[in-house]
Amino acid sequence: MDGPDRAQERLQARAPEMELIREAQAGSRAAFDALVRQYEQQVLRLALHLTGSEHDAEDIYQEAFLKAFRYIGNFRFECSFYTWIYRIVTNLCLDQLRRKKTRREDQAVVVDQSGDEIDVLGSVSDGRSFSNPGKELDRKVLGERIQAALSKLTPRERMVFELKHYQGLRLRTIGEMLNTTEETAKNTLFRATKKLRTQLAGLR
Amino acid sequence: MNCELAHERIVLVAYGELPDEQVHELDRHLAACTDCSQEREQLLALKTLTTAYPINELDPNFVARSRMRLEEALDAIPPKRWYERVGQRILNNFASLQAAPAAAVLLLIVGGGAGTLGGYEYAAARSAHSAAGLAAVAKAEASAAESVQQSGPAEIANISSIEREPNSEIVHVTYNQVVPQHIQGSLDDPSIRQLLMLASENASSAGVRDDSVGLLAAECRAGHGCQGAGIRDALMQALRYDKSVAVRQKALEGLQPYVAEDMRVRDAVLEALLSDSDARIRTAAIALLEPVEGDTSVRQVLSTVANSDHNLHIRTVSRQVLSRAPEIQ
Repeated sequence: MDGPDRAQERLQARAPEMELIREAQAGSRAAFDALVRQYEQQVLRLALHLTGSEHDAEDIYQEAFLKAFRYIGNFRFECSFYTWIYRIVTNLCLDQLRRKKTRREDQAVVVDQSGDEIDVLGSVSDGRSFSNPGKELDRKVLGERIQAALSKLTPRERMVFELKHYQGLRLRTIGEMLNTTEETAKNTLFRATKKLRTQLAGLR
Repeated sequence: MNCELAHERIVLVAYGELPDEQVHELDRHLAACTDCSQEREQLLALKTLTTAYPINELDPNFVARSRMRLEEALDAIPPKRWYERVGQRILNNFASLQAAPAAAVLLLIVGGGAGTLGGYEYAAARSAHSAAGLAAVAKAEASAAESVQQSGPAEIANISSIEREPNSEIVHVTYNQVVPQHIQGSLDDPSIRQLLMLASENASSAGVRDDSVGLLAAECRAGHGCQGAGIRDALMQALRYDKSVAVRQKALEGLQPYVAEDMRVRDAVLEALLSDSDARIRTAAIALLEPVEGDTSVRQVLSTVANSDHNLHIRTVSRQVLSRAPEIQ
């Protein structure tokens, strides 16, 4: 969650960060590299969790920072750099989710024992196996079921749920990142939880 | 609270987004409503369930690979040229100007408000000052005189009248500031003298100049503190430049005691003798110069006047004085 310690850290980090941004705007590649190092872990983690694919996450990461490099001159300190870079990343992720969803509509779905539809490709592991497959088998299956349920959400619902549930961002921040209001983000989260509960009803 | 709203709030409270006062309200509803209570259980179960798809720590190789690829891509981008950066800066500045109209309106309002308030304060201060001036008139001589000293000659528009009380040192001077003012005080009072000197130079009325110069001259003749250059200068000024013969006449009379001791006074009188348009002044000047007729410059002037003055009487008097001079010497 976004605890007070993290908020304090971010506040302290803001002053040198602003300096880095100004230098990057003036054309300093070193300053931009420092900004990349500051946010790359968060960007990759978000993209990987959302897409479930290292390849897609890497593409999103690359495209996001290239865009940031190209348009950093447009950054006018009206919001935090964190919100700005997340806005770029979430837009790219949404595009990726939409593309993926469109492709999946043509793909085969299977019905599991409980009668729920599971996307075969959506359920396939992305290669990040657990260290002890025997012990973690149930957990892995469960994880895949959840991933499948998440993929049933609309890209926007998926994004809001990801940012709230997994990344622990405030609804107001999520609204800012997605260029919408806090109220809309709240309603989207509500819809997402409702759908997930329906999807995962048989697992409880 | 209805169940639909409760369901929504169950989600919000689970994610720490519900205000405290609504949490309490929700708790009361949940205690009474089985369906909603069940709804909350389901949501909490979902939250627990979704931890089975956690965010794992990133593989360092994956991070390094991604970074390397990004750096290659960034290296391939040509650096921005200086004019591109300048253009970008201009665009940014232009974008920031979007807020300028609102800021300008705000500044206008603030400026207008401050101006109005300032004007009001200024007017109030001025009226208070005027009131103080009027009050000073009503007060005793000393405080009235002090008021004039404080206001200074720059704030006095003109002197409208001067009257001396008969057989007394007291003189009444009426002068104008923004509003006409009136003070009274002794002739020896510096502020009264200041007003008199001002009147001798600037008063638009010949009568006022005549009064002021007359009084100053009388003071000088009486030897009342006329040693300073101020009053003498005022009299010399009046003698040289005043249009009124009567004023010049009085100034000349006032200067009489100083012809012998003050070269500047002597020069002023000689000037009057040479160039004053009125014969009476020139005649009076000759009379004034008698004590110093042995002076070379005086003799020179007398000689000139004796030869060239168009007034026969003056020429005669000058010759008489000159003829006496060797005897004196």
